Amino acid sequence: MSLAITGIRKFWTRSATIVSLLIAVALVALEFVLVGVSYHTASTQTGVDMSTYTWLLTFPSAYDAILALSFEFLGIIGLIYVATASGSEWSWGMVKVAVARGQSRWQYTVSTFASLAILLLVALLITFAVGVVAAVAGSSVAGLKMGNPADMSVLGPTLVKLGRAWIALVSLTSLGYAVAMVAKSQMAGIGTVIGYFIVSIIGPALLPDFVKEIFRYLPFSISSDAIGLAGPPGTAPATNAIDPNVALLITLAWLVGLLAVASLSVERTEITN
Amino acid sequence: MTSPSTMAIETKDLRKSYGKQMALAGLDLNVPSGVVYGFLGPNGAGKTTTMRLLTGLIRPNSGTISIMGRSFDRSKRDILYDVGALIEAPSLYPHLSARDNLIVIGATGRKVSRARVEELLDLVGLRERAGDRVSRYSMGMKQRLGIAVALLNDPKLLLLDEPANGLDPSGIVALRDTLKGLAASGKTVFISSHILPEVQQMADIVGIVAAGKLVTQGPLEELLTSQALVRVKVRPDEAQRAATLLAGVAGADHVSITFPDIAWLVARMPADRAAEANQCLAQAGIYASGLEAGSDLESLFLELTSPPPPPQAAARPGAIPGWNSGVAQ
Repeated sequence: MSLAITGIRKFWTRSATIVSLLIAVALVALEFVLVGVSYHTASTQTGVDMSTYTWLLTFPSAYDAILALSFEFLGIIGLIYVATASGSEWSWGMVKVAVARGQSRWQYTVSTFASLAILLLVALLITFAVGVVAAVAGSSVAGLKMGNPADMSVLGPTLVKLGRAWIALVSLTSLGYAVAMVAKSQMAGIGTVIGYFIVSIIGPALLPDFVKEIFRYLPFSISSDAIGLAGPPGTAPATNAIDPNVALLITLAWLVGLLAVASLSVERTEITN
Repeated sequence: MTSPSTMAIETKDLRKSYGKQMALAGLDLNVPSGVVYGFLGPNGAGKTTTMRLLTGLIRPNSGTISIMGRSFDRSKRDILYDVGALIEAPSLYPHLSARDNLIVIGATGRKVSRARVEELLDLVGLRERAGDRVSRYSMGMKQRLGIAVALLNDPKLLLLDEPANGLDPSGIVALRDTLKGLAASGKTVFISSHILPEVQQMADIVGIVAAGKLVTQGPLEELLTSQALVRVKVRPDEAQRAATLLAGVAGADHVSITFPDIAWLVARMPADRAAEANQCLAQAGIYASGLEAGSDLESLFLELTSPPPPPQAAARPGAIPGWNSGVAQ
């Protein structure tokens, strides 16, 4: 555990950490402010469904919207960040130093990821908190009654969803971690992440049904389902939607599996750089 | 505490290949405790591979390693708690300060106290810049920090790959004093280096490796005494005839042409017979354009690691003499 705590020190002070967090926070904040600003224009037009605006800018539904956006942005940025940070451990020769000092390889692999997971929790909390402020601001700009953000009956389930979002985020980013640790390269990790992200967006539209079915169980889709968020009003849940608890179990299985792959690879590899 | 009779490092028939490339072809090292051991060899001879094997970074194909009397393989990583290593370039986090690097790296393996970190910052002379980011450091400062990393555990065995790289003269003197001091206190220092005069000043024992095998090993003084050399430079077209003449003075097996393209001849004979060798050549009308006598580590190294000249060896246009010597094929 102390190795993971010390690991936070080495990641937190990287400029990439701050920049990644700022980008995610800015994107989430911008989304709500822009929705607030565009509310009046949209309300004067005919045929615009204003329920999505209300869902985004009024509490308690805004909590789900903030969580959904935080997860989407942090998911993509976090994947790239984790791949970069873990790849640097190889390119800077830090795995070599740790192993030469008698550090267990699998412990180093797991604790390094644990450090990143803790940072992801901090990033999620900050992004969520900024999202709440931005939703309140957006609501105010739109002139909407924002509802009661402090409703205790909503805060409890929201905290549970926040926890699930963290697990989903950690599981998703473990993909970038595993690729970077196996390939011993940050570029390989980043490349795979971007490739996977593009395929996961385009793939379902182009591929046969049975492949689409497989895509639903891959990290990006399944981790998103695991949070158990309600969508905007009028978006009926898919008839074949995966139960959030089942999705959470599959998400955890991905996390354990990918960490095992990373650990086994580091355990067996010859360290020559 | 390691007993004086225990070998700090002992390898037997150590072999390692990377694909078809043989890096070590049966290395038998014997490094006694409490000495500075100079591990020398040309590029590609297997020095860094040996370091990696000794720290469990890679696995040997065959052979055994014993560290401080204990059989070592990757499953016995606790042995490495008593080993400090600087392998190739220093590995550091560029965005962290020297102090934070030592703290973060010190959290791996056997944990290191803050007091030890401060002690090492003083030892390597980085106290005043300890809070600066390492990315702002010069190469020499990074090298000092790399040495501090190797010393974090107060190791009984220190493995250093080219430790003087990038150090300024005062840094080299300080390094030499530190390493000698460590050896005097019973620790073992195993240095791989290309700076031969530096090794000659530091090492008690030297091992020379070429093409993955140890070609000689022993106390430095003994090796230098046994390897008395006279080196003569002649015109390339006279090299063969000069070698024949020198063989008459030094003995047939004791003369070799080190670099055919510039025709340095090496005769294994006492230094005080250099004049005799020169006279012999002059009487045959061969006038040496260079003459060196005596033994130094560089001569010994070149003598032992230069490959035998191929027949009718012709220098490639633009090739720098000696740059092909000893590189593992």
